[in-house]
Amino acid sequence: MVHMNMNSKLGVGIGLRAPHVAEVLATRPAISWLEVHAENYMGEGAPLVALERLRADYPLSVHGVGLSLGSAEALDNRHLSRLQRLITRLQPALVSEHLSWSMAGGVYLNHLLPLPYTEETLAIVAQHVTHTQEVLQCRLLIENPSSYLRFAHSVIPEPEFLGELVQRTGCGLLCDVNNIYVSCCNLGGDPVAYLEALPVRAVGEIHLAGHAVNDADGQMILIDDHGAPVSDAVWTLYDHALARFGPVPTLIEWDTNIPELALLCAEAHTAERFFQRAEEAGYAGVA
Amino acid sequence: MPALHELQSAFLRAMFGPDEPELLETIVGDGLLPAARLQIYRHHVLTSLTDVLQATFPVVCRLVDERFFRYAADAYIRQYPPEAPCLFEYGAHFPAFLVAFPPCRHLEYLADVARLEWALHRASHAEVRTRPLDPAELGGLAPHQVAQLTFQFDPSVILLDSPWPIDQIWRVHQADEEVYAPVDLNEGGVSLEIRRWDDDVGFRRLDSAMYTFRSTLAAGHTLARAASAALAASQEFDCGAALHELLTDGVVIGFTF
Repeated sequence: MVHMNMNSKLGVGIGLRAPHVAEVLATRPAISWLEVHAENYMGEGAPLVALERLRADYPLSVHGVGLSLGSAEALDNRHLSRLQRLITRLQPALVSEHLSWSMAGGVYLNHLLPLPYTEETLAIVAQHVTHTQEVLQCRLLIENPSSYLRFAHSVIPEPEFLGELVQRTGCGLLCDVNNIYVSCCNLGGDPVAYLEALPVRAVGEIHLAGHAVNDADGQMILIDDHGAPVSDAVWTLYDHALARFGPVPTLIEWDTNIPELALLCAEAHTAERFFQRAEEAGYAGVA
Repeated sequence: MPALHELQSAFLRAMFGPDEPELLETIVGDGLLPAARLQIYRHHVLTSLTDVLQATFPVVCRLVDERFFRYAADAYIRQYPPEAPCLFEYGAHFPAFLVAFPPCRHLEYLADVARLEWALHRASHAEVRTRPLDPAELGGLAPHQVAQLTFQFDPSVILLDSPWPIDQIWRVHQADEEVYAPVDLNEGGVSLEIRRWDDDVGFRRLDSAMYTFRSTLAAGHTLARAASAALAASQEFDCGAALHELLTDGVVIGFTF
């Protein structure tokens, strides 16, 4: 089993991206933990060797983006075995994936695509999460997606769908606060009410990132591009999340227009101030 | 209400093709056209994969300019969409695609430059083997055993030849190259060995006999066969020296006889 009780030691981490690896290796910045995208390290080549050098100094989180837990077709077993090998090798503190799909008909669409929230989808995702947890021998944290559309036949609100998934599979949740904000702005909805609808004790990690504000035919659309500082509205929502879930391990993600490492670390230190306030307030997660 | 499998098949078709009315009917507008919402996903799928190709083939991109590259990449993605989520493995068919892509058929060297970039990319992701072969392990072999030796190469090693000076073309089109030096396309072809040295990936030219020797061995043939192929390429070939170099420069990591 991967030991999830290391979580209590995790504060605010950063998503480690290729342009920063050499600098992190050389300077070992004061960051609580590092998260990597699983798919970038499945080649067992130089990137994985570099990551193994960092393992001694930083707890790791392995964040999958390609497992496609929401695909109607069977999971890609080759991909799942590669994920299993990676997790055995890295022994991460946290392992997470998404409530989304990206594989159909043997084609990988490089995106976290939206699902209709129906009983059929719930049964499929629950089966895939259960199978994955059995193969990986660890508890998965499932992340809420950022969405640009919803389906007319979706009948279950997203936070309730996630809550039901937790009930059926014993998985945990990765609460992406920016995704909640982006989806609620794009599709209508109250981000605070969304947070209130998530099962408190299931949340094992929080993600924070920036988004872009685009105009589509006169209507504002937020694009979850992880290409900017965290917005003020998302910081406020993060404060709500900490009040509700307690000081849960938090990650800053930055994937496009990747800044200097120092700026990324400064964002993490901003998050730490919120995080420490939550610790001092003794928020333990309200049931 | 479509079953999930049907919905995902329709969504897949829409990512690489036109909007289908049945799919659009399943999408709530919320103040926008359903087609505009679908387009956000299509745009991301295509541009993110184009970015992946551009990062893997930066010199090809500089040779044809970025606009044309993204046009060619878009056509490639539709013809060869990724089949698995590890995108460091995506782009294997791009050199062959360029050979057949009508708008750049006149750039005969382009596909070979793409092959070089793909080889460098593969070498950087190849499995890291930390222990090269110790030549002393071969000390006790009888001559007939030596002739039958085959070698296991480091996974990063790739041997590549071209009728064009692709190494020169690659060098003068690096992003940090300040002075643009024209390459004489008539200067002839090259035989290259691409591999990882410590944390870096690079390449060097081999003469034709050495290239024949190493590529014959890399294909799994015996030392005797590789030596005679190399001698056929050049009478000057010194098999003893070539074997010594092979065993000491870290290219091979194992042997059988």
